[in-house]
Amino acid sequence: MLKIENLHAEIDGKPILKGLSLTVNAGEVHAIMGPNGAGKSTLGYVLGGRPGYEVTEGSVHFRPTRHGERSDAILGGTRDTGLLRSARNDGEAARNDEGGDWIDLLALEPHERAAAGLFLGFQYPVEIPGVSNVQFLREALNAQRASRDEKPLSGGEFLKLARAQADALGLDQEMLKRPVNVGFSGGEKKRNEMVQMGIVDPAFAILDETDSGLDIDALRIVGDGINRIMRAPTKAVLLITHYQRLLDYVKPDVVHVLADGRITRTGGPELAHQLEREGYAGVGAEVTA
Amino acid sequence: MVEALDLPTTRGENWRWADMPALQAARALRGEADLPDRLLKGAARLVFVDGQLAEHLSDVDALDITRTTLASDHPLAAHANGDAVALALAAQSVTALEVVRLTTGEGHAPLAITLAADAVLTLVETFAGAGWSNALTRFDLATGARAMRAVRVVQEAGFVSTRDEVRVGEAASFVSTALAATGAGVRFDAMLTLDGDGAFAEFGGALLTREDQRQECAVRVRHARPNGQSHQLWRAVAADRSTASLAAAVEVARDAQKTDGEQSLRGLLLQRTATVNLKPELEIFADDVKCAHGATVGELDRRALFYMESRGIPAPRAKALLTRAFVADALGRIADESVREQFEAAADAWLEQTL
Ligand SMILES: Nc1ncnc2c1ncn2[C@@H]1O[C@H](COP(=O)(O)OP(=O)(O)OP(=O)(O)O)[C@@H](O)[C@H]1O
Ligand SMILES: [Mg+2]
Repeated sequence: MLKIENLHAEIDGKPILKGLSLTVNAGEVHAIMGPNGAGKSTLGYVLGGRPGYEVTEGSVHFRPTRHGERSDAILGGTRDTGLLRSARNDGEAARNDEGGDWIDLLALEPHERAAAGLFLGFQYPVEIPGVSNVQFLREALNAQRASRDEKPLSGGEFLKLARAQADALGLDQEMLKRPVNVGFSGGEKKRNEMVQMGIVDPAFAILDETDSGLDIDALRIVGDGINRIMRAPTKAVLLITHYQRLLDYVKPDVVHVLADGRITRTGGPELAHQLEREGYAGVGAEVTA
Repeated sequence: MVEALDLPTTRGENWRWADMPALQAARALRGEADLPDRLLKGAARLVFVDGQLAEHLSDVDALDITRTTLASDHPLAAHANGDAVALALAAQSVTALEVVRLTTGEGHAPLAITLAADAVLTLVETFAGAGWSNALTRFDLATGARAMRAVRVVQEAGFVSTRDEVRVGEAASFVSTALAATGAGVRFDAMLTLDGDGAFAEFGGALLTREDQRQECAVRVRHARPNGQSHQLWRAVAADRSTASLAAAVEVARDAQKTDGEQSLRGLLLQRTATVNLKPELEIFADDVKCAHGATVGELDRRALFYMESRGIPAPRAKALLTRAFVADALGRIADESVREQFEAAADAWLEQTL
């Protein structure tokens, strides 16, 4: 679903990613761990298309799954469970994954990447004074829908969806009316990222330290949320984290170590446990010149 | 060819950002002017065409309209000196009024509005047409009177200059919000005097400029009596090579103890070739006052832009949403919901064309 080959990227002329390769298949969750400053967030930003992050070599290809019928369930409004159920759990949607075209992700504008099904959960979600969460998310969802030739959701339909997602993630509904992330606590911002993910229902999510700043209960709620929204045969997740704890809830299929701009080690779920016990040097995943 | 006019030069401190060449050029413009749609349902309407009261277009049967003479020593307003329309609002009356100034060439429209004790006025003023539209408006608010006013420039070209001379009496309240979001050159100029104990004044608005346009506001609020409160909240958005200038002064007289004066002047540059000038000024002669001012110029927050784009919002729309939020600080002061929505829509239309 996502194929990164020999990716080199720099910020202000300083090389940060130095030949990173990674393949994620539909249905998989990959965890990325690695020392501070290794380039994990940079990888997320490069995939998201952030200006100033210049790719100097390599390629990223993405084969998105087609969007399913979840939105139709909302429009029908008969089954409330439809608001929280992901259509891509359906066998039919799964079949839609076959035969999709690989696209050159780096050739797309950031908003086109989002419309293609990519979601970036920010390590530091941004505050936007004067723009309410509801307005922001409705604009975002409807822009994505428009680019897929889908009908926009009305205010009422959207509110229903947003409320259901907020409830599922334990975010106070009042916070939907507040300006995006303004005055939110660290943990609330992270929950809000997941509410956003639930609303736009992406095919591929890169979640950058979504677990940091969450209290113990919130960690479980967010973990459940990730599973609910993203665990499907047609979806995939790249989970950037420093700790095993989130991985207890969202079980990774593959664990990578990213150090000094490259993947230095890849293994199964046990690699995360080993890292927690022995540190990066212990597993031989430290930077090698 | 229009004869040259005696206009202020940019050597004067209050006129350093004024675009008098644009005003001079506007005098040569000729155009048609259509009556704009009403914004206030059921309101009386005063229409001026080229500075003259147009009775056939006006709808003022319910109002007490007379004539007076106005004289201002303000260099632009002085061109409007002389015979003026006078509107007197009786004590405790409630009035909704639209004032429209249509200009097809050059118009000087002097107007005096007097609010007796506890009178309430909701006012929308519109400048439409082409050429130079020059207004001198004098407000006098007696004890407890309240005026809520919104001013919009829909005139696409030429120049609009306004001069407001406002006296706010004891416990009276004057709230004025202006929007300029067209191709016209603009100077909003005002002098407000808080002339009674506990008087309240808000004077602000938004200037949106693009191409080579220049717009400015020049406002002075004078606290003459104790316990007054004033807020000046202006937002300027400048694109291309345009210039928007915000000058706001607060003056607190020796007697005006317990004054609370606030200024918030903020500029947003949509391109680095644009300019926003800010000049907040405080002149305080009393010792027990609370005056705050903030003045900043910046660009759109790039992190916020990327955040929005990464959620699927195309860049121009993301910029529009951020800019709209910026302008909303000022337009949000308009109390009448439908008027506020119309002003916001005008700002949105400008953003749509500009971004
Ligand atoms: N704007 C910038 N200019 C220069 N260097 C930068 C810039 N942004 C990031 N870097 C550098 O890029 C490197 C990688 O940063 P990145 O944020 O990707 O690390 P990370 O792996 O996410 O670390 P952490 O675990 O602390 O979040 C760091 O050395 C950082 O200092
Ligand atoms: Mg990081």
